[in-house]
Parts: sequence; C-alpha cells; structure tokens
Amino acid sequence: MSWEVVIFYLLALVSILSAGGIVVASNPVHAGVFLILSLFNTAGIFVMLGAEFLAAVQVIVYAGAVLVLVLFVLMLVDPDDLPEFHAGRPVQRVVAILLGVILLLEVGIAILNRTIVGARGNADAMTIEFLGGNVQAVGNVLYSNYLLAFEVVSLVLLVGVIGAIVLALPERLGERVRHRRDTISLAHARGVDMALPEGVRGESPIPVPGARREEPVAEATRELIMTRDPDSYTDAGEPGGSRFRPR
Amino acid sequence: MDQPIWLTFIVAFILMNVLLVGMAYMTLFERKVLAAMQDRVGPNRSGRFGLLQPLADAVKLLGKEDLIPKHADKIIFYFAPLVIFVTAIVRVAVIPFGNQIEIGGQPVALFAADLNVGALFLLAFGSLGVYGIILGAYASANRYSLLGGLRAAAQVVSYEIILGLSLVGVFLLSGSLSVRQIMLQQSAELQVGPLTMPNWFILSQPLAFVLFMIAAVAETNRAPFDMPEAESELISGFHTEYSGFRFSFYFLGEYINMIIVSLFAATLFLGGVDGPGADRYWGLGVLWLVLKVTVFLFFYIWLRGTLPRFRYDQLMGIAWKVLLPLVLLNIIVTAFIRLIGNGQIF
Amino acid sequence: MTELGVNHFLFLSAVLFIIGMMGVLTRRNILIIFMCIELMMNAVNLSLIAFAWESNTMYGQAFVLFTIAIAAAEAAVGLGIIMALSRQVYTVDVDEMRTLRD
Repeated sequence: MSWEVVIFYLLALVSILSAGGIVVASNPVHAGVFLILSLFNTAGIFVMLGAEFLAAVQVIVYAGAVLVLVLFVLMLVDPDDLPEFHAGRPVQRVVAILLGVILLLEVGIAILNRTIVGARGNADAMTIEFLGGNVQAVGNVLYSNYLLAFEVVSLVLLVGVIGAIVLALPERLGERVRHRRDTISLAHARGVDMALPEGVRGESPIPVPGARREEPVAEATRELIMTRDPDSYTDAGEPGGSRFRPR
Repeated sequence: MDQPIWLTFIVAFILMNVLLVGMAYMTLFERKVLAAMQDRVGPNRSGRFGLLQPLADAVKLLGKEDLIPKHADKIIFYFAPLVIFVTAIVRVAVIPFGNQIEIGGQPVALFAADLNVGALFLLAFGSLGVYGIILGAYASANRYSLLGGLRAAAQVVSYEIILGLSLVGVFLLSGSLSVRQIMLQQSAELQVGPLTMPNWFILSQPLAFVLFMIAAVAETNRAPFDMPEAESELISGFHTEYSGFRFSFYFLGEYINMIIVSLFAATLFLGGVDGPGADRYWGLGVLWLVLKVTVFLFFYIWLRGTLPRFRYDQLMGIAWKVLLPLVLLNIIVTAFIRLIGNGQIF
Repeated sequence: MTELGVNHFLFLSAVLFIIGMMGVLTRRNILIIFMCIELMMNAVNLSLIAFAWESNTMYGQAFVLFTIAIAAAEAAVGLGIIMALSRQVYTVDVDEMRTLRD
C-alpha cells in the first residue's frame, strides 16, 4: 500500500459518506455542510489526478454556490418543517434503492469490460512540465481548441445571470412581495420563539410595511430574554420542563 | 528541490507556530497602536511594556466557562470555530519566505509548498472561511448572530469577486498562478530612463493594489467593513453566543487571516522577500517580508482607529457599483498593454 | 508508479452519481434535490477527469471547466426559479407543488 492508495481511500470514503449524509440528513443546513464536504474531498481527488487548476476552481465556485444554497435554506424553509424527514413514500425509497443497485451493477460491468478506443494523448508529465504546469496546459487547450466554446459559455453565464435577476425581481419594481412572512428570525427553528407558549410566534421587532402581522394570542406575555435566569438558556440548568426542550 | 518529506513537515510546523506567536503579538501591537492613537497608554501591567499581555489573555480565554446555548445546533456549534481557524492557518502553506537555502549541506526550502495554483489556493480557502461564520451564526440560535452571519455571507461573496479579479492583472503580467513564481519575477530590476527600480507589481498595477487592499479589509471583516460583528448594532454579531475556548478560535482565525492577507499582498505586490541584500542573506529577506507585513498590519489598525463603519447598503453598493467596474477596467487595460508589449496588435 | 488504476476513480464516480440519484428520487425538499443534482454533476466531472488522466490528454479537463461554468449558470437560474416558486406556494416541498395536476 503506497501513500497514494491510502490517501485515495480516505478521500473517497469521506466523500461517499458525506454524499450519503446529504440524502439522509433531516436538516437541510446539515445537508449543505455535507455537500461542501463531499465536493471538497472530490477536489482532493482531482489533485490526485493531476488537475490542480480544476480542484481550485471547484472549491472556489462551489464554495460560493453552496453558501448561497445554505442561505436559501435559512430563508425559505419553514422552521416547523425542519426536523421532519421528507423522504417520500416508502415505495419510492424501495424503488430508488433498487434502481440504484441495478444501475451500479450495470455501470460496474461497463467499467470492467470497457476497451480503450483511439490513441493516447501526449500530455504526459514531461509535456506539462515544459508548458509550465497544469494551469498553462489547460489554458493551452482551452484557448487553441475550444475558443468558440469558451465564448459561448461566457454568453451562457451572462444569460444565466440576467435570467436569475429577472426571476428574483418582484413582479413590479418597488413593490414589496405580497404576504411577506416575518424576517429571517422565523426561518430559525430554535430561536427564542421557543420561550413563548406553544402556538405563539414572536415577531420581528422591526415593522415591515405591508406585511401581514400575526398577532399573538392575548394571554401570551412576552418576556425579555434577560429577565429570566440565564442558566435556563444553557445546558447548566433544566428548570424549563418539557416545553423548553429543542424539538 | 529534493528534500525529504519530514523536512517539509518541520518547515510547515515552524511556519504555523511563528504565525500563532505573530498573531498573539499582533493583538498587543493593535492595542498599543490604538491606544497611542486615542492618547491612552494601553496594556502595560503584565510584563515590561505589557509584553506578557497576550499570554495573560490566552490564560483568561482558556479559563472561561464554555457556554452552549440551549437551543443551539450542537454539532455545528462545536466545529464552526474550527473551520475558520483551520482555513486561515492552512493558507500559510503557499506563502514563500525565501528561496532554497542550505543548512549543513541539506537543501531546505523556505516554503511549505510551491503549488502551481498557489494564488487560487489562497483565494479558495479564503472563501471557505466564511462557512465558519455563517454556520456558527446559524448554530447559535440567536437572531443577532444570524443577522451577522447573513451580512458576512453577502459581504464575503461580493468582495471575493473583487479580490480575485484584482489579481488577474498580476497574473496577466507574470504569466503564472504560483505565488513563488510571481515573487521571483519581482526580484528583477526595471530600468525606466535613468532610474533603476524594483520590478514590483505595485508599480505596474497600482489600481489593482488599491482594490486588493480594500477587498482584503472587507474579506477579513475588519473596520470599516466589520458589518458581521458591528457591536453597536448586533451586540457582537456572529460570535455573540460564543465564549471561552471557542470564541478564542474565532479570534485567532480573524487575526491569522489578517496576517495571511498581509503576507499575500506583500508577496504579490511588494516583491515578498525582495529588498537590498536579500539575494545574499536569506535572513535579511525574511526581515524585509516581516517589515512589509508590519506596515500592512499597521495600515489595518490605522483604518480601525480612523474610519467609522460603513452603512450596510453603502458597503454592498461600493462593491458592485464602484469596485467591480474599476477592477474590470484594470483587467482590460492590462490585457491590452500586455498584447501591445508582445507585439500581437499594432 | 501507483497501484491506483482509473477504475478506482470511475467506481467512486459511479457511487457518487448513484447516491445523488437516489437523493433526487427520494427527497422531497427542493433545495436538497438541488444539492443532489450538484453532487451528480460533480461525479460526472470526476469521471471526465479520470478519463483524461487515463488517455493522457487535457481535453477532459477543459471539458470539466465548461461543465463547472454551466453548473454555475444552472445554479443561478435554478435558485431564481426556486425563489420565484416559493413566493407563489410558500413551500419547498415538491409534493405540494401540484397546481398543474389538480
């Protein structure tokens, strides 16, 4: 066992385990963390395959993309849904696992029985060293063989950005989105809302113009967080009873 | 280039420890300079001139109670500070502190790794660092934390673009992404008429340097861009709920990030170890680098002592409406000059 | 040089792709489905780079750069669609989005 094999199995194991984590995680934020972990380990495998530039690009691009995904989770997911595990009906799960196993077998047989068609290229270590490194080698191919494709991809990116802006705009400029729920605080499952009696949600102290406010029921008295014993908010003391347990 | 792997580990170990000690004294330096700017004395009780103050701070931080909010997402709360600390300290690996030297006939490289994509490595880990902030903010189950985290995410995503694009001019001129190659290219001399100047990229890329410094201050969440922890608005932002040992990781991460960004700027724009006598004595080269970094760190503290905090919408407006067009302009102009210099047009 | 053959990398890629596929098939949260699609794309990138490594060319790597760019555009548009959709139906559960069926 050389070091390379050990490192490969380490990276592959973490990558696969965290990929499984995305599928089974009940909390979407955890799924996002697992996704970035998986992508990061795959970037490590890219380095093993001599694609340092792509590894760096992968981390930079996906770090930003997944970060935005996590933010969307925080913004859009209803906190009451968070702890639930949305994994479809049991029949879907069984069918998915069955399909997965069949596909894995097929791909495995295909991998083991394939033959290489065509001649090997000349991009060996010597040539890459001569060009100055992996970045220069990729750039060489990109700008001599695929220049048109490169321009087209940049156009696609531009159109994508414009499309995203158009989609994210409210229907009329300057108008707030209808039926806006509270601010980001609502998106947090286990905020200080839990200190209120059941069925009552705290609101953002900032008035949102045009927003539909949910008035708390009359008997709910809101307490400032510091009027309570600070120990009841930490693990040190458990005076709160069952109501204060995290859901 | 041949050196055994254990030697690289030793070099990396020394670099990390020097970085940690440097960070500790960076805090003392900051407090002293801020005190001088505000006509105070600053810490002077522990040791002569307060030289033992970082040690006392460390003992104090380690001795504090480690509080975890009851509704926190515990696992993420545990490891979020580590993310920011590790991604900060790993970045020192590609910073060159000089060339190869010989110690007792054994060649020793004064850098941990000479990556072909070194500059991208630095940028990539810089953008990973923000996960420490946003995850810590989410896990704290505190609205002030979450607001701070969201601010940090928006700010870092915006300024990361400026940071990366401002370096493209340097990459165009040097033709390399390796930090060491870029540094070596700057040790050449430039003849402009009767003057002999060092070929530092700050002279050929002044606009890129200014934009890089602005983006770097924003990327490290320092004043006047310290929105994520604006203490007058958000208590202390994303680390409101953190205390003791875990808080110290955030603290370490922030200061190490500052030092790394200063090293990065000094290496890419100010010639790194380049300076009088640096080609003969490697120790002098390291000294020059430390001097340049100290100037940058003083600049950080100076900004903190002088400028008020930006308003949040102004912060984002500057990034997208002012800095981004400027940085694109810089790339276009540099590319044209490079083409003319190569004789490919005109 | 190494005991690692290209098959190791191809199997890893296949496993990652299938895990992503199972996620898309079973999960109901649209954001998690999106994450699984990213995972599948990443698996395909891995196999492309492995093929490039095997055949000793750079074309596979250039292709992956295009894939990453398209994935970035897809992420931007996809998240825009999710945001516009969630304004209409106030949910991220794909089973509850059945206006066309009812």
